[in-house]
Amino acid sequence: MRNNGVVTTATTVSPVEVEELDEALSDDRPWVTVVWNDPINLMSYVTYVFQKLFGYDKATARKLMLDVHHKGRASVTSGSRDEMERDAARLHTYGLWATVIQD
Amino acid sequence: MELDAPQIRGRPLDGDEDVARGFFYRSPDCFRRTGKGVEVRLPRWEGAILAELVRLIDGMLEPPPVDDPLEALVGLRDTAPPPPEDPALARLLPDPYPDDPLASGDFRRRRTDDALGHKRAAARRVLATLPGPGEVLVLDQDAAQDWLTTLNDLRLVLGTRLGITDENYLDELGELAADDPRVPFIEMYELLTTLVDNLVRALFGDG
Repeated sequence: MRNNGVVTTATTVSPVEVEELDEALSDDRPWVTVVWNDPINLMSYVTYVFQKLFGYDKATARKLMLDVHHKGRASVTSGSRDEMERDAARLHTYGLWATVIQD
Repeated sequence: MELDAPQIRGRPLDGDEDVARGFFYRSPDCFRRTGKGVEVRLPRWEGAILAELVRLIDGMLEPPPVDDPLEALVGLRDTAPPPPEDPALARLLPDPYPDDPLASGDFRRRRTDDALGHKRAAARRVLATLPGPGEVLVLDQDAAQDWLTTLNDLRLVLGTRLGITDENYLDELGELAADDPRVPFIEMYELLTTLVDNLVRALFGDG
């Protein structure tokens, strides 16, 4: 690298350090937003929210809602942790019970 | 999740028994989709009750205090506000990381103010667009979303206060004596159920 005419040499890194760094960087398992069943929200309402927030068609939104209702929970979106926190926050705006987990 | 309202509410009045219990079928006609937007009309009692409930919830949605005056000025929190103690408020602001209090705290630090601000703005929008008796107002998409947010928030708060932990709550609560203090709140909850369901159908295009 050149920095104002001064040449700096790169620090040498041992093979073990490189391996550990690789492991830390490759924890790129996707994050997932999970919606949980609750006794208050209406089925019609939950279906609407899935359509409105994530652009799912009615059939897909309804299927997801039924998953939540019958299985107790369903994963609704996946992506980076930041994206999932944003999705969870939006779901909370609509009163749905959403959590964020790593897949 | 609760079944869609008309399926369990669409039973005809069962004569004196239902009236005595204070539960009665309400007209689903409060919201109607038209070419101009969503029309909203509220019978006198329903409108008055709704106004009161929205004012109450507005009071609940104040942001938690910020100790540092500089933080307060800048509008960014440096520390996580504590988890809400009020179970109704906790239901409006669920914990996204139930197994990780630090991550939860950081989420609250970054997002609580916006979340509460959005709900407060929606509640105030509803108060500003509440039709008087005999009045019909037309809501555009934005206003209709705010109505949906606030009506559902009210349902969540009331449901939490009533201790509704089970979808079969009607079976339990349906056995209450007519003078049980919970009865008026169940009526309000039923009203909100009908309103949310009606508005969703109007937004879907079924109403």
